[in-house]
Amino acid sequence: MENEILEHGFNFNRRRFLSRLSLGLGSAALGSLLIPDLFGGSGTDDETLPVGVPHFAPKAKRVIYLFQNGAPSQQELFDYKPKLREMTGQELPPSVRGKQRLTGMTANQKEFPMVGSFVDFNQYGQSRAWVSDLFPYTAKIVDDLCIIKSMYTEAINHDPALTFLQTGSQQGNRPSMGSWLSYGLGNENKNLPNFTVLLSRGIGNGQGVYSKLWSNGFLDSIHQGVQFSKGEDPVLYLRDPDGMSREERRAMLDNLAQLNDLSYQSFGDPEIMAKVKQYEMAYRMQTAVPEVMDLSKESDDIIKLYGPDCLVPGTFAANCLLARKLSENGVRFVQLYHQGWDQHGNLPFEIAKQAKDVDQASAALVTDLKQRGLLDETLVIWGGEFGRTSYTQGKLTKDNYGRDHHPRCFTIWMAGGGIKPGMVYGETDDVGYNIIQNPVHVHDFQATVLHQLGLNHEKLIFKHLGRRYRLTDVSGNVVHDIIA
Amino acid sequence: MNKRLLGIAEQALFATVVFVLILLAFADRLAVPVWLQPIGRMHPLFLHFPIVILLLTLVMEVFRFRPVRAGQTAETVSAYRQFLDALLLVGTLSAGLTVVMGLFLATEDDYSGTTLQWHKWSGVGVFLVAAFIYWARQKRWYNAPLARVGGLVGIVCLVGAGHYGATLTHGDNFLFEPLSRQAEPERVPLEQALVYDHLVQPIFEQKCVSCHNPGKLKGGLNLTHLAAVQKGGKSGKLYVSGRPDISLLLQRIHLPLEEKKHMPPIGKSQLTPQEAKLLALWIKGRAQTNGRVADLPATDSLRIIAAGFLAPSVSVESFDFDEPDEDMVRQLNTDYRTVARLANGSPALAVNLYNRANYAPDQLTDLSPVREQVVSLSLNKLPVKDADLKELSQFENLQKLDLNFTDITGKALEQLTPLKQLKTLALAGTSVRYEDLVAPLKAFKNLQTVALWNTRLTSAQIAQLQKSYGNVRFIAGFNGAAAEPIRLNPPQLKNASPIFTGSTQVDIRHPVRGVQIRYTTDGSEPDSLRSPILTAQTTISQPTQIKARAFKAGWYGSSTATFDYYRRTYKPDSLRLLLPFNPVHQANGPQSFFDGILGTFNANSPAWANNWLGFRKNEMALLSRFAKPVTISSVALRIMVEEETSIFPPGEVEIWGGPSPNELKRLATVKPRQPGGKEPHTLQTVTCSFGPQAVSWLKIVAHPLKQIPAWHPNKGNQALLLVDEIFIN
Repeated sequence: MENEILEHGFNFNRRRFLSRLSLGLGSAALGSLLIPDLFGGSGTDDETLPVGVPHFAPKAKRVIYLFQNGAPSQQELFDYKPKLREMTGQELPPSVRGKQRLTGMTANQKEFPMVGSFVDFNQYGQSRAWVSDLFPYTAKIVDDLCIIKSMYTEAINHDPALTFLQTGSQQGNRPSMGSWLSYGLGNENKNLPNFTVLLSRGIGNGQGVYSKLWSNGFLDSIHQGVQFSKGEDPVLYLRDPDGMSREERRAMLDNLAQLNDLSYQSFGDPEIMAKVKQYEMAYRMQTAVPEVMDLSKESDDIIKLYGPDCLVPGTFAANCLLARKLSENGVRFVQLYHQGWDQHGNLPFEIAKQAKDVDQASAALVTDLKQRGLLDETLVIWGGEFGRTSYTQGKLTKDNYGRDHHPRCFTIWMAGGGIKPGMVYGETDDVGYNIIQNPVHVHDFQATVLHQLGLNHEKLIFKHLGRRYRLTDVSGNVVHDIIA
Repeated sequence: MNKRLLGIAEQALFATVVFVLILLAFADRLAVPVWLQPIGRMHPLFLHFPIVILLLTLVMEVFRFRPVRAGQTAETVSAYRQFLDALLLVGTLSAGLTVVMGLFLATEDDYSGTTLQWHKWSGVGVFLVAAFIYWARQKRWYNAPLARVGGLVGIVCLVGAGHYGATLTHGDNFLFEPLSRQAEPERVPLEQALVYDHLVQPIFEQKCVSCHNPGKLKGGLNLTHLAAVQKGGKSGKLYVSGRPDISLLLQRIHLPLEEKKHMPPIGKSQLTPQEAKLLALWIKGRAQTNGRVADLPATDSLRIIAAGFLAPSVSVESFDFDEPDEDMVRQLNTDYRTVARLANGSPALAVNLYNRANYAPDQLTDLSPVREQVVSLSLNKLPVKDADLKELSQFENLQKLDLNFTDITGKALEQLTPLKQLKTLALAGTSVRYEDLVAPLKAFKNLQTVALWNTRLTSAQIAQLQKSYGNVRFIAGFNGAAAEPIRLNPPQLKNASPIFTGSTQVDIRHPVRGVQIRYTTDGSEPDSLRSPILTAQTTISQPTQIKARAFKAGWYGSSTATFDYYRRTYKPDSLRLLLPFNPVHQANGPQSFFDGILGTFNANSPAWANNWLGFRKNEMALLSRFAKPVTISSVALRIMVEEETSIFPPGEVEIWGGPSPNELKRLATVKPRQPGGKEPHTLQTVTCSFGPQAVSWLKIVAHPLKQIPAWHPNKGNQALLLVDEIFIN
């Protein structure tokens, strides 16, 4: 009897369970009819979105990124803080600093005296934007610029911050912004690499720039940045050796391609085909690159516009001029790095020289693109990897001080490419330490750049090692306020 | 109630719970087919049932465990409970159905935001609480407190869901709107915005009409529409067209806040500086009443400020032509011609041509199958001739045409007039003239930008064009001749190495064409008049310091560049350091002294330290051998002096020479001058001269300064000696 009751209970439960289960499953199935991809795995749209075509009509077709490596001090260049100047020498209120982590260089500092800019500011243009006297040429073009004073980042040291801005991740091994654009948009000019890199160095304290910053990461290696060097051969080993004719080179490449094709048939490694494509591009670059890199035909006006240093290979001015020429010839992403902005000490002396290095040529690039009617479709970006502190690093003397790394706010500018001209966006507090209005995170910035190029940063995806990657990782919002 | 019916209803309730949970879990991926949408739209109708039934039931549930009162029989209590059971089941089921409908409705685009979330979750809450009560009340542990709590929670959810639902349907703040009427201005894209309707009136709406409306009419002023605004109030007209400075409106706005007549009054929300500016600019621009913002010139202040008030422009452009043939597009793509879709799903194409050498007019004629679709064409720097423009004129939908630095002349521009859609025309670096432009420009109704830099137009002519075509932006660009002169950069050393044997040409050049380089050899500053001009024939045969400056008409002369030339006659065949060097600066070992590569400043940075050999503890003792005896009369050491980092000249240098290592005799001893503090960093040469002497073996001994002088923070310590090259003559 006891057993029968138990049995009954079991049966009842099983029957109940099964009938309920079928009901539940039936409901789930009904629900799934309304949720097309419920059992199909998520995010299948990356496979259906074609690569190499903008997702929607782009405002900009190309980018020139004038990276100011080392982190230029916003207090001396764009972010005018009269209050900070008045308060020079006073201790930074702990409430302002909050729980901000500091670098090892100032963490042990006993006091944090604030220091205002040694240089004066003035308002310029119709936008009445404040620009420091260190940037007389930039001041003349403020009506073409959108100055963002409220950028912030997560890293506090150069390499992670730089890597973060370029790849969306602090650790590296991810594709750089230029590689993503190359992947997302494809070539405009098939005779030049889609992503080129130009380096220069100022007199100030320099920080390393490594090729990982223009790495293609897990993307196809045809999206890798190509570094143009300053010597006689801007692209190393591009010239045919003496005695080799163009026909011979062609025949050699054709035969090599056949061999490569054979090994691709047997191994199936896509990198083999990438290599063949690169050989072919190199062959075409043999004629295209000398034509682009030739500065001898630039008019006197252009030399005067960029400053005479634009004819000295390896200077920032020369790289700006080259950037214009490359961009004009359809290179999607021209990445410049100008080193030397890391003014931990001796700031007034060093920053003046750094500013002089870049001021005229940066402004000239914008003017030059504009006068060719290209500024509308070319996005120019100027900025570093983070900002600098409102307090001095080391000793504050009457005419000398330094500033440490400051990720909480920094200033960049953008021009052209459908960004609102003549605009100052975002605001920092009176001492230039915290953002009080319209913060722009690095991922927001990246999302905005992609948006201007017609790419949805949430849809520009690459699947690698079982997960999908984006330039903006899992965050980022397009800053619509600055879009014209 | 029929047992069977009850069973079915209970099963249905369970199924609904599962169904709702599934829908909730995947709400963001829910795609309701069109034929089901009417079900969703029945939500606003159906929701009234659960509200009424559940409200009733839940209230009754709260009082379910009331003790039996006099006059109530067991039957009535049982009937009451059964009735309640059935009522709760019906109410819960109707709530479930309402939730499902609501979830369907929520997928339609019109609904979003936090109100929706509140509504959704409170609605779901009602359903789940009701379902829980229905299930729990059959259990033994279900008691009076639980019934009360459950009932109350359900009621709260129900009221919440009802409220937020009403807000969704009737708009934000529907309930309390009459108490605080303040309309959000609609955001209109700049292209469509009217100056008055979309810029000025919204400011009045937000900041003024709460007092200045027909109902309240403070100061006899009504600001709800244009006619009333123009009429003004008791104190007179609001503004004088074109004169913001004497307009009453702005006077009131700019009065000090505590002033009684300041508007808006203290305590009310004030105009932002941008809003005040906008009103001023509107009055300054003659207070136009029906102008479009887009008609203002791009540089107009009002337009620039307006951009901040208006929604971002609509970027989606639709084209009314057909998709291009995919195969044709692929075919037309060559190494030197890129034909690319403007965007995914867009029929429009952008075409770029490259490479001057490969250009031929048929590259344009080839495009004829897709010419309807091409909206952007770049022919930058290609040898495009006037005759080719005829072909171009058939690209009827072209919006952007780049003819920069092509070979066209202005005469052919008329050919382009059929391009009605043209927005951007780039003519920089071509030989167009003013006369060529004036007439054809009329034909381009949509034109926005014309790049005219580096053409034959003078800036006055461009200004004239700008005047005639206000809506078009003419870009004049940079004019070097008109710009202020700037300073030349210093000349550069082009000699492979400044170290020479015998004599050398002074190969100093400047990258700018037509520059004169003037120089001196005596250490004085070169000037533009008296100093000799450097030519290809300028040679030197002695170690020399050359100071050079660059000059060119129209430029400021460069700063002075200093170049040190070093002479080296002999190079030892083998050499050896007798004592170890300082491990921080090891350069390339003793070979570095004769490798011809000069070091530069900043030797403490590893990247620059490569060419300097350092000595601190031990003296530098270099023994070198010449295979054949040489006659020498001087030995010079190139050193760095940087007091700040304790890099000093050697305290003493001894030169020893002789036929064998054991027969060396001292040839010279030199004590270089030591810096006196606060001296600039320098690269110096310490020269030891003596009577000509034939030697096979040479020993050079340089002692680092033993004690840093007393003025230095490191006083008393040993100084560092850095040497990069040695010259034996």
